[in-house]
Amino acid sequence: MNLIELYLEEIRRQLPSRNRDDILKEIQSTLMDTIEDRNPNPGAEPDTETVKAVLKEFGSPRKVASQYGAKDYLVGPRMFPIYLRVLRIVLIVVAAFNAVGLIVAIVSNTGFSTSFFEAILEVVGGLFSSLFTAFGVVTLSFLGIERAIPDNMKTIIDEKWQPEDLLKEEDQDKVKIFDLAIEITGSLIFITLINFFLDRVGIYYLADGHWVSAPILTDAFLRYVPWITAYNIIDIALDLYLLRLGAWNKIASVIKVLNNAFKIAVTYAIIVGPAVISVDPAIWRETGLSSATSATQFTQIGNTGLDILLGLSIFGLVVDTIKRIYQRFIKGNSAGITIEG
Amino acid sequence: MQDDTLQEQTQNLVQELRRGMIVLAVLSQLHDEQYGYSLMKLLEDQGMQVDQGTLYPLLRRLEEQKLLESNWRMETSRPRRYYFLSAQGREVLKEMTIEWSKIRNTVDELLANEKENDK
Repeated sequence: MNLIELYLEEIRRQLPSRNRDDILKEIQSTLMDTIEDRNPNPGAEPDTETVKAVLKEFGSPRKVASQYGAKDYLVGPRMFPIYLRVLRIVLIVVAAFNAVGLIVAIVSNTGFSTSFFEAILEVVGGLFSSLFTAFGVVTLSFLGIERAIPDNMKTIIDEKWQPEDLLKEEDQDKVKIFDLAIEITGSLIFITLINFFLDRVGIYYLADGHWVSAPILTDAFLRYVPWITAYNIIDIALDLYLLRLGAWNKIASVIKVLNNAFKIAVTYAIIVGPAVISVDPAIWRETGLSSATSATQFTQIGNTGLDILLGLSIFGLVVDTIKRIYQRFIKGNSAGITIEG
Repeated sequence: MQDDTLQEQTQNLVQELRRGMIVLAVLSQLHDEQYGYSLMKLLEDQGMQVDQGTLYPLLRRLEEQKLLESNWRMETSRPRRYYFLSAQGREVLKEMTIEWSKIRNTVDELLANEKENDK
């Protein structure tokens, strides 16, 4: 795609769906009229410099698109494509978790009775409920993200915009706003889960035709909840700050490194501390899985698996921290992300 | 520094004043049909600069308000949208022109009085 096509495509993505094609056709027509008028060699193909000058004069795609759209969005046209992507991922994951729960229940409970079908209905109801909750959390996250970027920041972004950005924008900057959005949404979901729905983290099984969940996290885990919540909140605050800032600076890097150290400490404490997963043998028998593995074995496997995962996450955090310290404070350059929309 | 602020303030106020005039200026040039770029040039040639980011959304809005009509036409190598006054638009323009004369006279008088007081 050439520069003009990329520019129009970028505007198209940000236009409100109503009259989108018509508006775009008109912008294209004017753009071509202007370029033709400015062309130093009338009749010949316009040179790149002329095209760039006219595009710069028209302004960033966001600015052009915003002139055709309503002012007050829950999630504005700039963030909307990212919102949809995050929403799709989160909904698929939530649906998949529910589906796995259902399959486990069907496998572990034999015989079809009236109560069984009632239980299925209960699962479907639960599925809708969790899908709506996920939808709400994602939408609220983006409502915050949308408002975290102030209007004057948008103006600065528009003023800094260069037509050449169209060529690099797709593969670099967009992905990073997407990363921040994913991180904020993920952290919010995680905080909600461990603070309000911890009892739902467990084994699900059918007992007397009703879905019952048996918690698998021990009281030892509860001690870590405030700390885990704290570093997730710091992560969210840092991400919102980065969205406002547009790029990493020293303060953001220092906060990230310190928060990483905090996470490593908490994660290490969980690994060396008392077991956080435990299944009551009586409940284990009720689930109908007793023939496969004993409760003690399950507890052991669960704790070892979790320790391995936590160990890997410590490794990841250490690598990330060293990389950041090297890039920001040793190499001394300003390598980092640049957020553009 | 203070001069800069004064200049900036004046500039903003003049812009605001011009913004109020744009609708009248645009309507006044659409007795004969014009496409966006030709209208922009027409206004510019007569000393009224309107950037495309303001003009196009305005044309669409005026069309939605039924003051303008438009049609797409294939010209040279690309389609162009021509705008022209609707019957309703002509009426509104007539009324706005009368109002504009009144406002201009009033403001002229106010400014003349101000000049007298200054002496």
